[in-house]
Amino acid sequence: MGILIPITALVIGAVLAVLLNSPLVGITAQYLAVACLAGLDSVCGGIRSGLEGKFQNDVFISGFVFNILIAFGIAWMGDQIYIDLFLAVALVLGWRIFNNLSLIRRILLTRLKDYRDRKRMQEMVQSASQTESAP
Amino acid sequence: MNPLVSRITGNSWIAPVSIMCVVLGFMIATAWVTDQTRASRLSLLSPAQRNRVQSGSVDMQTAIQDTQAEVAKLRAEKTKLENAMASQTSSTKALNDSLQEMKRLAGLTDLEGPGVRVELKDSKKPASGIFPADLIIHDLDVLKVVNELWNAGAEAITVNNHRVVGGTSFRCVGSVILVDDVKIASPVIIRAVGDPDTLKGAMELPEGVLSDFREIDPAMATVTKVDKQRLPAYAGSTTKRTGTVPKDAK
Repeated sequence: MGILIPITALVIGAVLAVLLNSPLVGITAQYLAVACLAGLDSVCGGIRSGLEGKFQNDVFISGFVFNILIAFGIAWMGDQIYIDLFLAVALVLGWRIFNNLSLIRRILLTRLKDYRDRKRMQEMVQSASQTESAP
Repeated sequence: MNPLVSRITGNSWIAPVSIMCVVLGFMIATAWVTDQTRASRLSLLSPAQRNRVQSGSVDMQTAIQDTQAEVAKLRAEKTKLENAMASQTSSTKALNDSLQEMKRLAGLTDLEGPGVRVELKDSKKPASGIFPADLIIHDLDVLKVVNELWNAGAEAITVNNHRVVGGTSFRCVGSVILVDDVKIASPVIIRAVGDPDTLKGAMELPEGVLSDFREIDPAMATVTKVDKQRLPAYAGSTTKRTGTVPKDAK
């Protein structure tokens, strides 16, 4: 159930924002929307490395903060120089989110398969020992 | 034992990821487009994306319809109150008569009378040898018909039951036609109050507004005379924010 806790946390964060009710208007909200993609990517990456057993706290948290700031900054800079740079951010981060999610899915599927195999082995061993103990 | 939780490593990643998820959830909810922030965000989109976002909002359409029904009700009540006030003295009566005349001219009252009904439909013909766009009713076609009807002496016109007034616009958004804020699509039914023979004659003119359709597919445009019909009042906004009447004109 470990994976449900971050999802619940996501909902809690959303509820907090709704309760505070301070909607951002205008272009800042537009940049924040791009930054959300960066946050989503970092979280997916964190879950992935957690499942892979390679999770490092400092890497994750610094990655989360800096990716958001960079995404925000690139989107802002694009508007200063009249290039749709937020498209580049959306493209790269969207690609990474897909990548991370597919890796997470594979890891979970492998785990599920391992678990089933292990259970079947245990049952086989048990039934074997039962037939042995019975004379 | 849960199969999805790692046995090899600890679950040390869950806490930091969850904390950042709270932040992320907060950010997403803040950046989410709501009714409050929609107006300020829409203006930042490219025209193509704006059309895509706007033409998808069915909720807005029902909201517009509800509001318009309420506007119509309130305006009818206002007319009743004005009439009630006018029954008191002759000067208020004279004032009210001129007011009601103005409202009729502005399209703010229902209007009843004979006239014509023009129905424009997208053609069902296969688009072989014909430019496909010619088989569809466009905003310009509606505008041309309405223009011709005004020219032929129509006193009031509705397009799909939306009253055409001084500031009415006909625009194209994606696959639908916008009459002011109201979305319409084929079949477009244009009703006009006026002398039926003159109006029908104007519609049937050789090389007139409907002849282009009829060359392609006669079923695209039909004109029928109507003995009696009732056109609804204009239900859109009449608020003017910028202009004021100069003092010497009052």
